[in-house]
Amino acid sequence: MIDLSILLQIVWTGLSASSYAVLFAVAFSLVLKVVKVWNFAQAGLMALSFYAMYALHALLGLPLLASVGLGVLITIAASVFMDRFGLQTLRNRLSPNLTFFIFTLVVSEFLAYLLAMIFGTEPVALTQSIMSGVNIINGIVISNWDIQALCITAVLLALLYLFIAKTRDGQFMAAVADNPELARFYGISVKRAYLVTFVISAILVTTGMYLFGTRASVIPNTPLQMMLFAVIATLLGDMGHIFGAALAAIALSLIQGLSIFVIPSQWQGLILYVFLFVTILFFPQGVNFKKFKQLTRTPKTA
Amino acid sequence: MKLLCRRPVVALLALMISGAVLSNAALAQAKETLKFGLAMPLSGSQALYGADQVKASQWAVADINAKGGVNGKLLEMIVLDTQADPQLGINAVKRLTSVDNVPVFITAWSAVVKAVAPIANRDKVLELSVGANSPDIAKLGDYVYTTFPLAEVDVSGLAKYTFTTLGKKTAAIMYINNDSGVEGAAIYKSEFEKAGGKIVAYEAYDTKATEFTGALLKVKAANPEMIHIQGLVSDIPQVIAQMRQLGLQQRVSTYSVGYNPKVIEQLGVAAEGLIVTSLAPGVSDNPNVPGFIQRWKETEKRVPNGLPYTQYLYDGPYLVAALYKWLDENKLPATGENMRKALITMKNFELPMTGGLQVGEDHRVNKPVYLLTVDKGQFVPLATIK
Repeated sequence: MIDLSILLQIVWTGLSASSYAVLFAVAFSLVLKVVKVWNFAQAGLMALSFYAMYALHALLGLPLLASVGLGVLITIAASVFMDRFGLQTLRNRLSPNLTFFIFTLVVSEFLAYLLAMIFGTEPVALTQSIMSGVNIINGIVISNWDIQALCITAVLLALLYLFIAKTRDGQFMAAVADNPELARFYGISVKRAYLVTFVISAILVTTGMYLFGTRASVIPNTPLQMMLFAVIATLLGDMGHIFGAALAAIALSLIQGLSIFVIPSQWQGLILYVFLFVTILFFPQGVNFKKFKQLTRTPKTA
Repeated sequence: MKLLCRRPVVALLALMISGAVLSNAALAQAKETLKFGLAMPLSGSQALYGADQVKASQWAVADINAKGGVNGKLLEMIVLDTQADPQLGINAVKRLTSVDNVPVFITAWSAVVKAVAPIANRDKVLELSVGANSPDIAKLGDYVYTTFPLAEVDVSGLAKYTFTTLGKKTAAIMYINNDSGVEGAAIYKSEFEKAGGKIVAYEAYDTKATEFTGALLKVKAANPEMIHIQGLVSDIPQVIAQMRQLGLQQRVSTYSVGYNPKVIEQLGVAAEGLIVTSLAPGVSDNPNVPGFIQRWKETEKRVPNGLPYTQYLYDGPYLVAALYKWLDENKLPATGENMRKALITMKNFELPMTGGLQVGEDHRVNKPVYLLTVDKGQFVPLATIK
């Protein structure tokens, strides 16, 4: 018999821990949807954003919020630079998809090595202490970090939705995501759409690393290990469906947490690989929920 | 007439050539150094400890050479990076044995020690494990010896102390799912139960995990009197932080890897009462240790990460120097076979930072276990288990 309080605690903690995973998955999915690139450079940008904030706050003594703000700007600059001078060059040469993939992977590895050379490989957190205050509500432990993480993630996702649905740039991004050639034909600046995409992605990624870095220690290779989660969530969330990726990230986090009831704790990490294999083998184009619904809908009899 | 002219020229040429050969030989002898290898993580997640341990060894080599080396010959330490990764460790050690032709090398991290053992045994090069604690190290072959007590020494001492002295009848174990975690946890469990205690929860976590709620809630449900964590420096603070936030207020113990000021820095009050082990003497146990710590503060402006490990790595070159000295006195060439012969013949060594070392025929060493606890934000001595 499963103890209800334990179940609720795991659900709550799984939900709050999924916050940064959601941000990484949405960022990855957004770039895939609009720019049509599997942006594995995101891992390098995640590391860069963390170490930028760490250098500004822990080493130079700037207030944490100011460090986060500057970290966002640095990550935006790096992302835009990569797009303008890296990806655009490959687009101009009509390079195959494999070249884009290799390029983004190399950018990640390069940034990880560079950061290791500059900052070393000692595990460091963004703040001196990784402890946060706790509140007990109906027997469930709710930490201040949990509340902050969920609120920040919810606000960012809401703003992203409004931006895409209600602003010109957001609608142009959607148009470019659908058909860049047609969008160009109608006078939409595809380059600007890409720029805006990378700016949003940088904001999401930096916020995610702020949340992660105030809870756990990071080394330059840590984001590379976290990318797997973002990729699986993107595939599961119907590739390019950014809010689908968000839901998939939450679902994966909860499944991993709740799996403790049926499998030994040391196998929890295996769950991700199981999902990855299943998704690649049976849903290489991503899980299409509309098609899935159609397939499972019982046909009406005459 | 021609014959008379040629002989002096030939004689002169012969004299010049012999002179050149002899002077080269003399030069070569003057430059001759006593080589040994050091394969440690200089990059990667374990470089936190590895880099400081290499520095300690480098200081030892400099100190030995400043006093004239070994019978006038200087020690030369060849340092290679393993990243604490078995495959990179194999590459490094292959280079040490095949290219640099060292008769002895020092390495650490259980996974690396085990991975390179076949090379040491096949090439008959003495492998000295300094810092790794997997009990399997004692069974890795004729050419593999540890100078650092294996897990059964400090972890079993801690388990017995927890039951007999602290009076804790039940304990839970959380361990990282790798070689040191799995083996160390098994030893703690075995010794705690042998002493009369009961292990009420035994939970592993993935090497890349950052979320431990499920396992911790299982531990909480088991209601242990003591919690032992067998992890690494990167995850132990997170485990304890999440433990405290979930309401687990039991006393926590871990092994020597937790003896790191950063653990206290990250956890603050949550670290109070934490018990850690140390297999190296402290400032009050060895008169050389205060000077060693002072040297770190003066040159690096901090204490070393993993002070006990750096003490052992400082002593590593002194042990190698003692082996070379034995070979020199017995007029034996510097081969791995002779190095091993020197080690098992001498058996007893007096080392500056860690004191007496006796190498057993079972490839193990026994040392006192020093227990420390966190009290008011500092590590203070708790007990010594001999």
